[in-house]
Amino acid sequence: MASVTTTQVPGMTGDFDNTLDDGVSKAPLVLGEATFREVTRKICRVAEAPRAPLAWYVAFAISTALVGVLGAMITYAVFTGVGVWGNNSPVFWGFPIINFVFWVGLAHAGTFISAILLLFRQKWRTGINRFAEATTVFAVVCAGLFPGIHVGRPWFAYWMAPIPNVMGAWPNFYSPLLWDAIAVFTYTNVSLLFWYVGMIPDLATFRDRSKTRLRHTVYGILAMGWRGSAKHWQLYERTILILAGLATALVLGVSSTVSTDFAVSQLPGWHETIFPPYFTVGAIFSGFALVLALAIPARELFGLKDLITKRHLDNLAKITLVMGSIVTYIYMMEFFIAYYSGNGYEQFAYLTRIMGPYWRMGWLILFCNCLVPQIFWFKFARTTWWLALPAALLCLVGMWSERFVIIITVLNRDFLPSAWHNYAPTWVDWLTFAGSIGLFFTLFLLFCRFLPMIAMSEVKAILPQAEGHVHDDSTAGAAGH
Amino acid sequence: MSTAHNIEPVVKEPQMYGLLAEFHDVQTLLDAAVALRKAGYKKWDCYTPFPVHGMDKAMGIRPSILPWIALAGALGGIFTILALAPLCNAFLYPMIFSGKPYWGMPGHIPMAFALGILGGTVFVVHGLFVLARLPQFYHPLFTAERFRRVTDDGMFIAIEATDPSYSPSATSQLLTKLGAAAVEEIRD
Repeated sequence: MASVTTTQVPGMTGDFDNTLDDGVSKAPLVLGEATFREVTRKICRVAEAPRAPLAWYVAFAISTALVGVLGAMITYAVFTGVGVWGNNSPVFWGFPIINFVFWVGLAHAGTFISAILLLFRQKWRTGINRFAEATTVFAVVCAGLFPGIHVGRPWFAYWMAPIPNVMGAWPNFYSPLLWDAIAVFTYTNVSLLFWYVGMIPDLATFRDRSKTRLRHTVYGILAMGWRGSAKHWQLYERTILILAGLATALVLGVSSTVSTDFAVSQLPGWHETIFPPYFTVGAIFSGFALVLALAIPARELFGLKDLITKRHLDNLAKITLVMGSIVTYIYMMEFFIAYYSGNGYEQFAYLTRIMGPYWRMGWLILFCNCLVPQIFWFKFARTTWWLALPAALLCLVGMWSERFVIIITVLNRDFLPSAWHNYAPTWVDWLTFAGSIGLFFTLFLLFCRFLPMIAMSEVKAILPQAEGHVHDDSTAGAAGH
Repeated sequence: MSTAHNIEPVVKEPQMYGLLAEFHDVQTLLDAAVALRKAGYKKWDCYTPFPVHGMDKAMGIRPSILPWIALAGALGGIFTILALAPLCNAFLYPMIFSGKPYWGMPGHIPMAFALGILGGTVFVVHGLFVLARLPQFYHPLFTAERFRRVTDDGMFIAIEATDPSYSPSATSQLLTKLGAAAVEEIRD
């Protein structure tokens, strides 16, 4: 590796095209003035500015208004009963489960970036991993909300836990719904801990730069007295590595477990062995589309173009393309297996998707998830915001529609045609979904304003001047004694 | 304010914590760390805004027991659920679900997988805090104004006065010789 150097030319700023590799030197991942001090200043500037950009206030006002709507809709549903939603026989799952699966999926990119890309030593992840991890935490919050209200009587939700009670009732540990609850509980805790531990050194930076007593106290408590000791760094790096290993298993496991809610049932269209990888790939696909859609405005809005460079957008778009292509392959396999199985019910279930009552949604999925990401074959589309942003948003629309079609088109065609009934969401369903988007953006905007949005210590560690060589002729084992 | 009794005001004598040396680049810091280890210092540490690759080797920090803590947590999570599920469904309230056996392990594997990860994560994070003795909101080094830059661009070595090899003048001279840009005394 010693022969490969990083070109760091002063004068390259945020609009510089660092997407090309010449094979001799590594492209720079930090543009502009790439000193430790400058990296600190650029990232802290976002949280230390007396006022946020105007766009932040506008977005925050809209988001918090939507959170108000969410609160009102939940209150209405809880006090009136779940009949205010469109869920009815035979479609009992409806919007709450669609939104749950959708939000869990969006969470996956953050874990993928901070775990799998860390194990693969992808240095570019340092520019985006922190806020991708934040999207994970906030998306899991939105996801957890829906099963919570879907039970209808949230005050009995504790019945799902194995707590000794007078009824002698225990959860059914064979039920995929319980597996799912445990997987999401694990995911919430692991992603929160991973996010927080990763943030401790940067919170210490905020503490040491704070000008007011309030900031010093709050960031001081959050930073736990971090002082950058080499002994601490050794423990810290080892912790992050172990967490990455564990989270790698988790990112592949959570959506797999979610998919067992469907795959373990005996309904044509759900009862498939392809479901665990299918859900996981779809989740990572939508998650990367979300991170791409958030990175584009964030780098413009907060002046972070030197740290979230075109190369980052380029790489994010490439992963979106790969995942979109795997999703396309799985769609083709599903239809092929339905045809090849010779099972009339299976074939009917798949034809219903593109020719049944929800055929518009079926074709929308194929357009958004299969065709749209293909524009990322072109570098111009990957690095041009007015092409990449709409494409990423369309991928999100496509993935939400996919969750809709998987759940609704299977349930609305019950075993007896006399029981068939179409599903239509009510205004309460739509406003609850919109409210969850507002909740996500409220949390995300607060995070951008008050927490370190980019992992400063990690960005500094990939700068060329952070490298040194240990010139030691004796054996390391001689130390200490 | 006067008190009835003649109490001597308690003035804590500031104790010498040690020496804080500032360095300006990573290579000098690494070389200094190697030199200090070879000079036989024991109670000292490097402070940097980011993890420095190779610092463990330069300082002679031994590998921690964190991976074992994580393993213990993961196994704890796995065996907890493998014991809890049959306890509930086979002993406390035996019940037949879909004609499956009371105690069948395959149906419990997905939960064991998730709780293994949860146990490993919780243990390793707490292990980090215990082994690093965090949170520690006060440290003598926080009294130094220049030490606030340790989370920005400052790189430091601090040698404690309780180190057997420590001598106020000789240690200070050694640090300067090793390339320290500034050396200051820290009092607690």
